[in-house]
Amino acid sequence: MKIPYFPGCTLHSKARGLDETTRGSLAALGVELVELPEWTCCGTVFPLAQDNYIGMVAAARILANAAKMEGGKLATVCSFCYHVLKRVNYAIKNNSEARKKLNDYLEENYGGEIETIHPLEICKEIIGLDAIREKLKRKLKGLKVACYYGCMLVRPAAEMNFDHPENPTIMEELISALGAEVVEYPGKTTCCGSYQVLNDMSLVKQKVKEILYSASARGAEAIITSCPLCQFNLDWMQEKLAEENNGFSKVPVLYFTQLLGLTLGLPEESLRLGEHYVDPKPLLLGA
Amino acid sequence: MIERIKEISGQNASICMQCGTCSASCTGRDLMDYPPRQVMRMIQLGNQNVLNLKSIWICSTCFICTARCPRGIDIARLMEALRVINLRKGREVLIAEKIPLEILTRVPQMALTSGFRKLSA
Ligand code: SF4
Ligand code: SF4
Repeated sequence: MKIPYFPGCTLHSKARGLDETTRGSLAALGVELVELPEWTCCGTVFPLAQDNYIGMVAAARILANAAKMEGGKLATVCSFCYHVLKRVNYAIKNNSEARKKLNDYLEENYGGEIETIHPLEICKEIIGLDAIREKLKRKLKGLKVACYYGCMLVRPAAEMNFDHPENPTIMEELISALGAEVVEYPGKTTCCGSYQVLNDMSLVKQKVKEILYSASARGAEAIITSCPLCQFNLDWMQEKLAEENNGFSKVPVLYFTQLLGLTLGLPEESLRLGEHYVDPKPLLLGA
Repeated sequence: MIERIKEISGQNASICMQCGTCSASCTGRDLMDYPPRQVMRMIQLGNQNVLNLKSIWICSTCFICTARCPRGIDIARLMEALRVINLRKGREVLIAEKIPLEILTRVPQMALTSGFRKLSA
């Protein structure tokens, strides 16, 4: 099966590991992600000012291009891209002014037909967890994993329509199918501080500390996410936290697709485990 | 000014009942000068100072307040309107030259695009 795919800017630069393990894992499961022939940045944030249609143009163009391919779907894994594409599509579908302005600007006739789909949804709803279990080359054998969703996948619920907005479980379901032990903790849909890392690092440090302590206190050996910015904040900030407190014990922060790829037997170099600040290799490959 | 905020955000702050759910849930509340419930109150009262708060620049657009407001107010959109009014006058907080190099060279690209879209003119 083929599904059109939008990687997004970060996946072609700092988050290559997310891109390669997403494509590689889904390919191993029989789903080929076909990159859109032409694409630009999605805009990264959904414009919240009512009069800002220009902020939706990039995403609208991506969606209109996806509609010219087969399948009626567009897969994207970065939580920011998924958020923007889904909300802009919702606006095109449900807001006639947005639909008209964007189509006039782009000289298109796109009505919001594309379904933006996340690889977590592809795994659960298209491939199926039982089919995934059958294809595993190894299991995670009780590895204690905390799933971190952050903000962009789940909120606002009416537009995102992604699992439960306060207590999503789709990542946990996948990771338990891979043999991991799910760590329940109260921080999985909190915010890591996001782009405030550029403006007020103390906010991000505080948020990361709360999330990590909450997950570690319940025994998490690794944290997984689908967002390159959450990954960076949760991962890099641990260096700062360790400088301040030498009793701080680090927890590797991975993309969920890296664990999926590992269990599906993707070659070690394509997992790109070496690109993170807290080295996950001793935990995953050492034993 | 209040009309402008209403127009840009599409939200009516006057229906806020001051329950404080937004403040209790807010990601940035510890670093804000006024948490979202008080921002709502200032808008209700037409207090112009609402445009000068640190809070609007600390907001990380996490949508937690929006998701939980029992009155259905999209508070994140009101925070954005307060930023946008400033940004359109050239008042910004994120300046590329001031970002520490250790962060600038390491962050994923999306952090730069989103940060500049939200916090610079
Ligand atoms: S949650 Fe809604 S009603 Fe309650 S204080 Fe905040 S804005 Fe007002
Ligand atoms: S969107 Fe802004 S105001 Fe609302 S909870 Fe998040 S940080 Fe606080």
